[in-house]
Amino acid sequence: MPKIEVDGGDLQRLSRLEELDPADLERRLAVMKGELDGWEDATVKIELNDTNRPDLWCVEGVARALRCAESGPEPHLQDLPPPAGTMEVDPEMEGIRPYIAVFRCRGWAPDRQGLDALIATQEKLTEAFGRSRSTAAVGFHRADLIGFPARYAAVSPDSTMVPLGYHREMTLADVLEHTEKGRLYGPLLEGMRRYPALVDSEGAVFSFPPVLNSQVTGQVRPGDADLFCDVTGTDWHTVQLTASILACNLEDRGAEIMPMEVAYPYDTPGGRRTVCPLVYADSLEIRLAELERLLGAPVGEAGVLDALGKMDYPERRLEDGVLRGTLPPYRHDGIHPVDMVEDVAIGVGYDHFAPVLPGDYTVGRPAPEEDLSDALRAVLMGAGCEEVLRPVLGSAERLSCGLDDRSPVRLANPMTLEYGAVRDSLLPGLLNVEGVSGRAAYPHRLFEVGEVLRRGPEGRVITSISVAVMVCGNSVDLGDAHSLLGALCHRRGLDLTLREAEDGRFIPGRCATVLMGDSPAGVLGEVHPRVLEVWGIERPASAFELDLDALGD
Amino acid sequence: MEQRDLHPLEKMLLGYLVEHGSASEERIREESELPDEGSYRRAAQWLLSRGLVRETGRRETAEVRLGPLGRELASAGTIPEVALLEKVRAGETDLRRIQEDGTFHRGRWGSALGALLGSGDLRKGPEGLSAESEGESVFHRYWNLVYGPLLKGETVLLEDLPEDVAAVVEDRSPKRSKRRAELEVHREASLTLEATDEGREAYRASADVTTIGSLSPGILRSGEWRDARFRRYRVDIPPARIHTGALHPYRQFLDRVRSRFVALGFSEMRGPLAESEFWNNDALFMPQFHPARDIHDVYYLEEGCSVEPPDDGTYGRVAAVHEDGGDTRGRGWGYTFSRSQALRAVMRSQGTSLSARTLASHPDVPGKYFGMARCFRYDQVDATHLPDFFQIEGIVLGEGIGLTHLMGLLRLFAVEIAGAEDYKFLPAYFPFTEPSVEMHVRHPKLGWVEGGGAGLFRPEVCRPLGVEVPVIAWGLGLDRLAMLALGLDDIRDLVTPELSRLREMTVRPDELLRGRED
Repeated sequence: MPKIEVDGGDLQRLSRLEELDPADLERRLAVMKGELDGWEDATVKIELNDTNRPDLWCVEGVARALRCAESGPEPHLQDLPPPAGTMEVDPEMEGIRPYIAVFRCRGWAPDRQGLDALIATQEKLTEAFGRSRSTAAVGFHRADLIGFPARYAAVSPDSTMVPLGYHREMTLADVLEHTEKGRLYGPLLEGMRRYPALVDSEGAVFSFPPVLNSQVTGQVRPGDADLFCDVTGTDWHTVQLTASILACNLEDRGAEIMPMEVAYPYDTPGGRRTVCPLVYADSLEIRLAELERLLGAPVGEAGVLDALGKMDYPERRLEDGVLRGTLPPYRHDGIHPVDMVEDVAIGVGYDHFAPVLPGDYTVGRPAPEEDLSDALRAVLMGAGCEEVLRPVLGSAERLSCGLDDRSPVRLANPMTLEYGAVRDSLLPGLLNVEGVSGRAAYPHRLFEVGEVLRRGPEGRVITSISVAVMVCGNSVDLGDAHSLLGALCHRRGLDLTLREAEDGRFIPGRCATVLMGDSPAGVLGEVHPRVLEVWGIERPASAFELDLDALGD
Repeated sequence: MEQRDLHPLEKMLLGYLVEHGSASEERIREESELPDEGSYRRAAQWLLSRGLVRETGRRETAEVRLGPLGRELASAGTIPEVALLEKVRAGETDLRRIQEDGTFHRGRWGSALGALLGSGDLRKGPEGLSAESEGESVFHRYWNLVYGPLLKGETVLLEDLPEDVAAVVEDRSPKRSKRRAELEVHREASLTLEATDEGREAYRASADVTTIGSLSPGILRSGEWRDARFRRYRVDIPPARIHTGALHPYRQFLDRVRSRFVALGFSEMRGPLAESEFWNNDALFMPQFHPARDIHDVYYLEEGCSVEPPDDGTYGRVAAVHEDGGDTRGRGWGYTFSRSQALRAVMRSQGTSLSARTLASHPDVPGKYFGMARCFRYDQVDATHLPDFFQIEGIVLGEGIGLTHLMGLLRLFAVEIAGAEDYKFLPAYFPFTEPSVEMHVRHPKLGWVEGGGAGLFRPEVCRPLGVEVPVIAWGLGLDRLAMLALGLDDIRDLVTPELSRLREMTVRPDELLRGRED
């Protein structure tokens, strides 16, 4: 979940709330699925739970949502002037970093705080939404220092520029090698023979996306009121939406957005010529009756329209019982009419909906496997056994009982080897209990009924429920587990037979396969001392384990 | 006041004392009928406390035993003092040469010299060491009288030793720091007892009547009990502890939750521990590029492991809904669905996969389902995280159900199962539900806490799985609720391997769910 830190004063100014106190803010954040995470001095920490709403991951977005919930929708990116110029894209860029969105903005002279907020937004968007600058990266420049028309071009690693924060010219190859950002984002360009660059009318490189801007144009200072923004990336909508969100933010700050055109020599999801910022206007429609049915309560025509207004829907109409709404240009997350249904519910407020119990009568039934498990657990408890509950994951070595011929399924990406494999038997868990329970009064009769993961044919892994019992004490031998198995069979009316078997976990000659009819249903044996040794158990133990499936009918 | 009857052990001891007069503990233990030392001690303690027997004397014995150092020295077959004395008597004058003999540690030779100088057996002059004594030194006798019998397993009492040898023993058995002691002296007091007048009286009285302790079939058959008295037992002593069969505390909690949901009309769902990504994520409309599907959030199974693939029809519809929304009126996520990713095997990361499987297998409409599933997330194990944890999930299908019904059910769970005092519903985000709700409940102990997520399954989840009616879905982690119900602070205690801790836990299954009617 994205977490952001914003300046409390900035948030209050932008949200136009008279006062900002934690309890009130916490309540208001519900409208954007946000939670107040902390408030230290001037810094307000907010967690935004909607991973599809990057527009909210900045102070401007949070403030906008607060404003609209209070006083309705606002205009965004309306009546924009015609494009202020065209940026040509090199044909080679298709295979390097294909998409770019650019625009200029004027008339807002940021102070230090405004610049900090701009940088914070840019960082959050490119890290979380732009996947660490791979699908989208952002650059801001002083437009007055750029020689237009500029091009988005593939250039040689030997091309040079003065990178932002440095004072000497470097080749782009050196930028990757010798600057912090270069080392951080260089891997995105790995294996490329030519690098993406923004090149001015003189042919000079003034930006090296997604790595670094040039010192010349990229050093934006407080008071600079003519900015140029570029967003480059590998995913069309991530690039365009990022540009639109930034444009809306700048507009909210008081800037005038001046679109630019981008001309591609190849096809893109938006065609070969696009105007940026792209003004998204995703529109959704649903019958009011269906909407009210999904919400379970009447909202009414006025209520629906008002709710969508609070959610900043620029267009919302009801015609012939059909609600049509258009999402604001900074949103592209309306992928189904139900998304609008939720916006209505949030706009109305969840408090509006009174809880109702479903009226349908249904019969509840436990799962047959669980019923059978419970029945066996009751018998074992009656036989004086104590139930344990062990984790499903464990170390491969322990789960193998230290034997080479056992191979529980391993995890490909374990966090620690201690939990690196999935149990295929419950016995290691019982042995683990025994190993740390030497001081609990004997005898110990332990059991567990639980899921294990076994290997089937052709690499298939199969979950099954297992029943395991282990007896441990000074004078325990095979007979102790055998008797409990006998008691279990007797109570269940099961006709099980035993056939001598070899199993490394048990002493040779004191181990049997448990048969149900002709098919194997489990194992019984006296635990081999070398297995006891793995867990440091100093008393004899015997055990059995049965597959629940085999006991069903 | 009725005098308590004599216990059979008391009777044996008292009988012996009445017959023999005053006797020492050793004699009593040897000559009386008392079966073992424990029985003697109990009987003596009871009788002393009741004034039926009194103490007429007390004798201290001090038994000498080898300490750790003594055992080490003894393995050499001699002690350094004796060995050193013999060497000097044989003409050796230089301690350093003696110390090259590895029989004992250098330091031992050194302290032996100190002891021999102190006893006057040796002298240190300008020409080195010389012997001052002949014949048997005190250390020879010390070796013969103490080590000799002890090594043969005989008892050595301090008081039986000659004075000078006893002094050496005292010197070498420190009261403290016994870890490196050469000898240990175990002192014990031995009593002499005799019966008091009350004791004689009580014994006589008890001899007149037959008293019955444990009833036996023989006594019942013979009718002997008719003329006998039943020995009175003390009824206020703690009972001997037995360990009964028992269900695991957490399982008892899960059992209660399960039966409560069945009682509320929910049928139980089950699913496998290892899932394909298809059922774990894709069927829930989580795009394959979703961050929660990252390598750092889900456990993948080792290379070569697979699970049963979904049927082609379901697969095709789910793939289509991801790519372009399929026939749902939505536009989908707009990317190319990967079959290899869909079929990859993972450890189930959310119980919602059970709901997806249920939707795909022709569920009842109207229908209510729940499932308790062990789930696995990529987390460090600590006081609040286990490698696997229990989640409860549920769905409700019905023609006319919506958000308000979802809220109604959540409220029912909060009140019935968690004993919540208050609740509120907040907008939330889950990839598979829209609208989504998160319930916060006010718990009597914890204050406001998150009480689980819920929502209406998106049409992109339901339609590809063959369900046309609205579906309410909800899910909740159970570990925290269980900790609360069982009074545990550390989540690892829920699955503690220590039997002694399990035996200590008090569980009242009838009180585990603090639900109440509202």
